[in-house]
Amino acid sequence: MEMIHIIFLIFFGGAIITYFAGKVSKVLQDILFLISVLVPAYLFFAYVSMGKDVSLTLGGISLIWGVNHFSWFFSLIVLGLGSMAAIYSLGFMKGKERKGYFYFNFILSIMSMMGILLSQDLISFFIFWEIMTWTSYLITIYSGNDIQRIGIKYFVFSAIGAYAMLMAIVMVHHLSGTFLIGDMIKIYPHMSLSMQIWIPILFLMAFGVKAAMMPLHVWAPDAYSNAPMAYTSVFSGALSKMGIYGMVIILVTMTNQIPQGTWFREILAWLGGITAALGTLWAIRQDDAKKLLAYSSVAQLGYIITGIAIGTELAMLAGLFLAVMHALFKGTLFMVTGAVEKQTGTTNFNEVTGLIRKMPWTFLAALLSIIALAGIPPLGGFVGKWMLYESLITSNHYLLVILVFFSSTAAFLYCYKFLFGFFLGQEEKEWSHVKEAPAVMVVPMVLMGLFMFVLGTFPGIVLKPINNGLVDLGFVDSFKHLWNSSIILNGWGNQVVLQPILYYIIAVFVFFAIFLSWKGFRTTRYVTTKDISSSGEVPAEDENLTFSVGFMQPFLRAVAPAMRRQIDKYYTGIAEGLESLFEFMRKVYTGNGQTYAIYVFIFVVVVLLFKNVLF
Amino acid sequence: MNILGAVVTFLLAFVVGMTYGGLNRKITARIQNRKGPPFYQNFIDAFKLASKKSAIHHGAMHHLGPAFLMVSSVVTLMIVPVLTHSQWFPNLNFQGDLIFLLYIMTFGPLGMALGAGQTGNPNSAIGVTRGLSQMVGFEIPWVMALVAIMIQYHTTSITGLMAAQAQSGTWLMFSSPFAFIAAILAMLGMFGYSPFDVVIAPAELASGPASENGGKYLFTMMSSGSVFAFVKLTLYVDLFLGGADNIIMLLIKTFALYMIPVLYSNTSVRYRTEQSIRWFWGWPTFFGLLAILQAVIF
Repeated sequence: MEMIHIIFLIFFGGAIITYFAGKVSKVLQDILFLISVLVPAYLFFAYVSMGKDVSLTLGGISLIWGVNHFSWFFSLIVLGLGSMAAIYSLGFMKGKERKGYFYFNFILSIMSMMGILLSQDLISFFIFWEIMTWTSYLITIYSGNDIQRIGIKYFVFSAIGAYAMLMAIVMVHHLSGTFLIGDMIKIYPHMSLSMQIWIPILFLMAFGVKAAMMPLHVWAPDAYSNAPMAYTSVFSGALSKMGIYGMVIILVTMTNQIPQGTWFREILAWLGGITAALGTLWAIRQDDAKKLLAYSSVAQLGYIITGIAIGTELAMLAGLFLAVMHALFKGTLFMVTGAVEKQTGTTNFNEVTGLIRKMPWTFLAALLSIIALAGIPPLGGFVGKWMLYESLITSNHYLLVILVFFSSTAAFLYCYKFLFGFFLGQEEKEWSHVKEAPAVMVVPMVLMGLFMFVLGTFPGIVLKPINNGLVDLGFVDSFKHLWNSSIILNGWGNQVVLQPILYYIIAVFVFFAIFLSWKGFRTTRYVTTKDISSSGEVPAEDENLTFSVGFMQPFLRAVAPAMRRQIDKYYTGIAEGLESLFEFMRKVYTGNGQTYAIYVFIFVVVVLLFKNVLF
Repeated sequence: MNILGAVVTFLLAFVVGMTYGGLNRKITARIQNRKGPPFYQNFIDAFKLASKKSAIHHGAMHHLGPAFLMVSSVVTLMIVPVLTHSQWFPNLNFQGDLIFLLYIMTFGPLGMALGAGQTGNPNSAIGVTRGLSQMVGFEIPWVMALVAIMIQYHTTSITGLMAAQAQSGTWLMFSSPFAFIAAILAMLGMFGYSPFDVVIAPAELASGPASENGGKYLFTMMSSGSVFAFVKLTLYVDLFLGGADNIIMLLIKTFALYMIPVLYSNTSVRYRTEQSIRWFWGWPTFFGLLAILQAVIF
């Protein structure tokens, strides 16, 4: 038996055993859950060797699984974030109902993502894709709120994507007689032009849904915010990357081979840019942390799509590096939101404020990930942003770089809104009882925060596997040419040397921190947020000075014209139109036996009357 | 490494920035037909603040906020070349480029914003949200100008652009005038003087983010602001006015540039935040587009 089969067996068996172990003991269930996520992760990185395919014959079709450098790199995201989120889940799900249901779907979800990455043929790719959709759907409706609207919206879009993919698979099989992904890429340049256009578009529909690309993103804000936060960190951090993985492996390598591919890429890059800009604007408008982060995920995935669609070496590095960073910081931020939700019971900025002194470690994790999200040095987000801009400029995308820059500057607004909404501002009596989240939740968040910090100075740690993966896909080795362990360069030879910059930042910060604290911090006393100079008056205890409603009002007023139209409304319009069509159909299919008898009778009469004409 | 050079650069920036701030006050006073404080008034204020002892603080982020601000000012100062040919000021000139500069410049305001947020003063937070909103406004023409000159000379580094100007013998101000105009209009927002003083809005927000600070906190913020003003002016001189060979030329060029926001501020009254943002997305962005067109076509 091969190691890959063993890994999938552990995942699958672990999921079932964990589900039933809840009947015996809660602690046993937790332990089994951890084992069935962490052990396969360890086995994968320790024992699975590159480039060796294993096959499994099912019903006459052999399913081929194997790992190359590129899928190995994505496994890093899935299993790394999955392990962290699994540890976090123990704390998050403590005392919640239906733990077995959650754990079962969580494990199967991780398994299906690994399955997608390891599949070498389209059949198993499609099967795992469906398992991924199902498990994520089941977790999305875990809370039971608004299943009609949220669950069905997610499922309808996923189903449209899946059928589009199925159609493309059938077309490929019809044209080439093979289900292998490698063969499909090889045969693609020899297809007719209409097939060359349709097959990528059909695949793009499937991947665009999962990667929350405009205009297929409308399910994402609801689904991300409705799933339990422990899963949403994986949902947004890793599951959405499956769309990116698919885009790279099938589209970029496929359409690269024909000259018309550049048009395809340009459109995709612009779609990514528009997704980023609009996602950012909508994120600024949200008053709920979950919704804000969900829209922000849509925006961040836009950058990644832009990066991989541009398709130069630097742009690919940028897109994939941002994918890793997005998994890290958005995973952490959803975990932070989950911690706040668990401790206070709400994630609405208008309700909860001033938690910084009650949840300092959670704040630290949130701060690190927000700095990374905003792309400010010395954290890792900067490296990705820098590479993206440089690749856009050096590949002559002048207007796109402005659009991307606009959305990433506007992102500061929601970054600040997130930090201020939860942690800063007035401390209110209502939340004075709040305690720091349990260690099992805090440790994964802080660990991921520290990893982002390290990546900000030594991006080579992640750029190396990315580079290996890109070399596997046929790109030029860019080591020393575009990156080094702590240097990043662009195509024109301009560079940013990260190490001395970090030393300068630390030196200046430490110097002025000491300057401020010298004979200072110890002797000064802390005063509450009510003890402030409010126009020269001391505000009374019960006076409300909390600022959270209409937080970014001036900015939203300035960009109001861009937000007047909402793609969601168009879809609702289509849905209403379809509903009235179905309403009409219902008049025909009444479900009444007598009506059907009349239909049969009329049919017979018509056939008899027009017998001579028809036959 | 060259610690002495870094310290000298910092001191130069501090002194020049403070003096310019004092001159601004003097010039404004003369325009309003007042006598005004002496030009060295800012030094007096600064040293008074530095010698004061703080009695209270509002928590760790508030305490460290000014240090974040200073990090951004100083690292920016280290990246921007102060003089073209000098042994004293190379610092980090070759370690970062313009895109890096754009991002490190936002590091400080965001750190400061966190400090201002922790004080719990609603005016501080309102000031911060206005400041961030306005930043989205003026960054667009500013980045357009930068992208235009980057693609014209195929380099993203400041030293590279300076070398290109030295080689061609003309200043970028003349070879890409639209980029210069867009950048200058963006500079008005960067300095935050009237009509773009939505952040501090003295009559409305009681100086906004700075309002809960005094003593050493305010001293650090004030000196950081002075250093930052000097860095911005020097950056503009480097990018558009061919850099400066010696300190006298640097002072003349930076002072001439500094007069643009100072004089403009004295003839206009404050915009509302959304008006300010829209203003930057009007003519300045149009000139930015022209700059990119010029760079692409010629």
